[in-house]
Amino acid sequence: MKSVTIVEILNLSDKQLIDLSKKKVLSLSLAEMKVVQRYFKKLKRNPTDVEIETIAQTWSEHCKHKTLTGIIEYIQTDNGKRTKKIYNNLLKETIFRATVELNKKWCLSVFKDNAGIIDFDSKNGVAFKVETHNHPCALEPYGGAATGVGGVIRDILGVGLGAKPLANTDVFCLGNPNTKASKVPKGMHHPRRIAKGVVSGVRDYGNRMGIPTVNGAVYFDDGYMANPLVYCGTMGIIPKSKIEKKVSPGDLILVVGGKTGRDGIHGATFSSINLDQSSDVSAVQIGNPIVEKKVLDAMLNARDLNLSRAVTDCGAGGLSSAIGELGEKIGAIVYLDKVPLKYSGLCPWEIWVSEAQERMVFAVPPKNKEKIVEVFKKENVEAVFVGQFTKGKKLILKYGNDIVANMDMPFLHDGLPKPTRKAKCNIKEEKLQKAFTLTSLELSKVLKNILADLNVCSREWIIRQYDHEVLGQTIVKPLQGNNIEVSGPGDAAVIFPQSIIKGTKKGIVLSNGLNPSYGKINTYKMASSAIEEALRNAVCVGGNIEKLAILDNFCWGNPNEPEILGSLVRSANACYDMSKAFDVPFISGKDSLHNEYFIDGKKFSIPPALLISAVGVIENITNTITMPFKNAGNKIYVLGITRNELGGSVISKIKNIKNGVVPNVYPKESRSIMKGIYKAIGKGLIEACHDVSEGGLAVAISEMSFAAGKGAQINVGSIKTASNMSAAEILFSESNGRFIVEVAPHNENKLKKVFKGLSVSEIGYITDNDFILFEIQKEKIRFKEKLTNLLNTWKSTIEF
Amino acid sequence: MFCIEVFTKNEFKDSRGEHVLSDIISLDFNCVNKVEYCSLYLIDGKLFLKEVKLIASCLLSDKITESYSITKYDTENPSYLFNNNVVTSKAVIDVLYKKGVTDTVSASVIKAVKDLGINKNIEVKTGHRYYLYGKLSKTILDGIACKLLSNTLIQEYKVNGLK
Repeated sequence: MKSVTIVEILNLSDKQLIDLSKKKVLSLSLAEMKVVQRYFKKLKRNPTDVEIETIAQTWSEHCKHKTLTGIIEYIQTDNGKRTKKIYNNLLKETIFRATVELNKKWCLSVFKDNAGIIDFDSKNGVAFKVETHNHPCALEPYGGAATGVGGVIRDILGVGLGAKPLANTDVFCLGNPNTKASKVPKGMHHPRRIAKGVVSGVRDYGNRMGIPTVNGAVYFDDGYMANPLVYCGTMGIIPKSKIEKKVSPGDLILVVGGKTGRDGIHGATFSSINLDQSSDVSAVQIGNPIVEKKVLDAMLNARDLNLSRAVTDCGAGGLSSAIGELGEKIGAIVYLDKVPLKYSGLCPWEIWVSEAQERMVFAVPPKNKEKIVEVFKKENVEAVFVGQFTKGKKLILKYGNDIVANMDMPFLHDGLPKPTRKAKCNIKEEKLQKAFTLTSLELSKVLKNILADLNVCSREWIIRQYDHEVLGQTIVKPLQGNNIEVSGPGDAAVIFPQSIIKGTKKGIVLSNGLNPSYGKINTYKMASSAIEEALRNAVCVGGNIEKLAILDNFCWGNPNEPEILGSLVRSANACYDMSKAFDVPFISGKDSLHNEYFIDGKKFSIPPALLISAVGVIENITNTITMPFKNAGNKIYVLGITRNELGGSVISKIKNIKNGVVPNVYPKESRSIMKGIYKAIGKGLIEACHDVSEGGLAVAISEMSFAAGKGAQINVGSIKTASNMSAAEILFSESNGRFIVEVAPHNENKLKKVFKGLSVSEIGYITDNDFILFEIQKEKIRFKEKLTNLLNTWKSTIEF
Repeated sequence: MFCIEVFTKNEFKDSRGEHVLSDIISLDFNCVNKVEYCSLYLIDGKLFLKEVKLIASCLLSDKITESYSITKYDTENPSYLFNNNVVTSKAVIDVLYKKGVTDTVSASVIKAVKDLGINKNIEVKTGHRYYLYGKLSKTILDGIACKLLSNTLIQEYKVNGLK
C-alpha cells in the first residue's frame, strides 16, 4: 500500500521554494510558497505531499482566478495622457459589478455556483455555463475536446442540486488547416489534425450523451496553431426549488460515477503553465460518455427524490476541489482508501487530485444513505461513501490508519496571498484607410473571396457531424435553408423544452459572439463587438434584448506581461460598459490565461479572444424566425447605420488594406433597434432576419439569398451611411448594430412605425431569379452573382 | 493473446481508410496510394477459439458490412524486418494505448463479453491497424504514424513491413 512522503519546506531558501514548486508542477509563485512555508512553520511540521498538492490545486489559477481577482496596477496612455488605476479585484470591479448594479430579479444565481441561472417560468430556471479546455486539446485534441464537453455537462449537473442538460455549444479558435506540413512547428500537431480531433471529440461525447450540439463558431488564425482554443458550453433546465445547496456537518460524502486513475493529474496547475514540447503527459484526460449518461439519469432521479443536500462535479483538481468547495465553510474528513480506483498503485495525493472523468460528489444526509445508493445501483452507477462533512473547519484526509493531511479550511480557501501585477495599455489612434473603390468585376471577385474565406465560409462539415436534433426540441437550427443541399448559417439556436416542461410555449435562445481579429488592434472594441454580436444573433431569431443574459470566457496570453494584462483590463472595462449600456447582465464566466507557447526557444502568445455567449427566454416560440429569404416580391431593409469601419475586417485582410477603424459599438442606437426587432417579430412584421457581421452586408445578403434559393435586387446607394463611402466600403464594412430584414409590402408602413426615429433603409427586393444584382448608380456599379456560384464558393472551403 | 481484426468487407467502402489516405496526402506523404483500416482488439484470457469467434462475430463486427480475422498476437516479432534502407510496397501500422491510459472501449468489451455469457476473466486492449500500400520506407511510416495515426503522448505504435 503506497502512503505519503513528507515534503521538506520549513528550511528552504527562496530559490529552493521556487525549485520545489517547479519540480512538483505546483504552479505556485514565491510569495505563495512563502505563505505555505509560514503556515507550516506555525504548525511546527513539514507538509505531506498530499497537503502540498491540495494547496496547489486549491490555489491554482484555474480554481481561484488569481489574476482577475488579484491586484492590478493599470497604466493607460491615451493621446499622450497618462492615467493610473488600481484594481483590487478586476472581476468584481467590472463584470460582476455590472451584474450587481443591474440587479435583475430574473437572474436567479450568478457567479456563485457551477453555472449561471436565469428565470424560465414560475417553476423553472435555465442554467448555462461555458468552459475552456485549451491545454488538453493542444496535447490530445480528441480526448481534450471530449472531456471539455463532458466537463461542462457536469457543471450543469452540478449546479444547485442538479439541472437537466438540454443543449451543448462549441466554439474553436484554430490554426489554418491548410498550413503546409513543413510549416508546422516541430512537436506540434498539424492544425488539420487538431481541427478533426476536436470536432470528433465534441461530436462523440455530445452525441453519445444524447444532448444536441446546437450553436457554435470557428475562428481560424495561425496564432492558434500551437495553442488551439476550445470552448464548450451546456444549457440545462433546473426546478427553482433545486437551485440552493447547503451542506451540513454530518452529511456523508458520496462519490459517484467513474473510477479514479492517474489521468489528468495536475490539470488545474498545468493550465497555468505555458505549452512546450515537453508538456506533462499525465495532464491528458480520457472521457467515457456512457458512464456520464448513466450518472446523469441516476442523479436526476436522486434529485427529484430529495436525497442529497448538495452536489458538485469533479473538475479541475478532482476530489480535492470538489470536496474542498463543498466543505469550505464547515470541514470534512475523507478516507482516501475508500475511493474506487481503476487500478492499484496510486499514491494518496494522486487519488486526491486526479482529474479522472465522469465523477460527481454529493452531500447526503445520513438518513438517505441506503436510498441514494439504491438509486445509483439501479442505473449501474458506482456510488461509494468516502467520508463526512464535519464541524471543525478542518480538512482531514486519512489513508488506512494514517492521517495524510490535516489543514484548516480558512487557510486553504482564504490564505492565498493576492498577487500584484502591472498592466499597461497604450491606446493607439486608429486611422481611416486610404479611400478605395473597386470596379464591378473586382467587387464580384472580392465577394467570392470573402465567402470562401476560412472565417466566413460554411461550417457545414462540422455542424453535420453533430446531432443537433436529438431530444426533438431544436426548433431553430444551426443550418437554415430550403433543403439539405442548400443551407445558410443560422444566427442562433432556439430550444423548445416541451419534453421537460409540459405545455410550455416558451423557448430558450442560445447565441455567441467572437471577434479576435479586432482584438489584434483594439481589445476594448473586440469585447464590445463580441457582446453586441452575441446579442444581435439572439435578437435575429426572436430573442428579447430585455431578457438576455451573457457569459464571458477570456482566453489570453501570459498575464505577467504588462501589455497583455493591459489589453485584458481594457476588454474587462468594455464588458462593464456594454453590460450596463445594453442593460444585459453577466451571469457566469471563466478565464483561461497563460495561453503561450515556445517554439525553438521563442515565445509566442495567442491573439486575445473573448467569447461572449448569450442565453435568453423567448415568451412564445411561435414568434421565432430564421434567416433565409422567404417570398419573392418582399422588400429588403437594412436596420442600423453603415460606417466606414474596415479595421480588422475580412476585406482588409484579403486586399491587404493598411489602417482602418475597428467597428465600434453604439449601444443606445443598437439596443433601440433590437427592441424594435423583438416587437416587430412579435407582430409578425418580419419574415426573415440576419445579422451583419464578418464580411459585411454583401455577405449577409448573399447568405440569405442562397439559403433560400431566391434572388435579390439591391440598390447599394440607398444604404444609409454615416459618411461618404464607396460601394466597396459600404458592401464590406463590418459596422456593428446592423440587421437585414425581409418585410412583406403590406407590412412596410407598420415596420417603419416600429422603427420611427431609427436608421432604416429600404435597399431592394426579393426575386424569383437565380441571381443577386448589386447596383449603385453613382459609381456605375452593376454586378450579378448566380446563387449557385455563391453557395458553392461558400461551401467548398472546409471539406476535410 | 488473441488478436481480432475487424475490417470492412470488399463490397463496401472503407471510408475510414479513404479519409486516412486523404490526410496522409495532405501531409505531403505522396508515396502512399492506398490505406485499409481495421479495428483491433487484443484479448487475453483463458478463452476457447469458439468463444473468441462468438465475441468477434456477435459483439465486435457488423455482420452486414464487416468481417473479421482471428490470429495470435505477437508482441515481439515483426513479420518482416524493416530498416531505413528497405523500401516495401505494403506495410502495417498498429496503434494501441500506452499502459495506464484509460481505454473506455476495452471496459465496454469486457462487460459485453460477460453479457454474452462468457463468464471468464479477460483483459482487452483496443487499437487501430492500418495497411498502407505504396513506396514505403521506415522513415516515412514513422512520420505518418507520429504525425497522423497516433498521439505518442498516450499511444504507442508499431510499424511492420509486409512481404
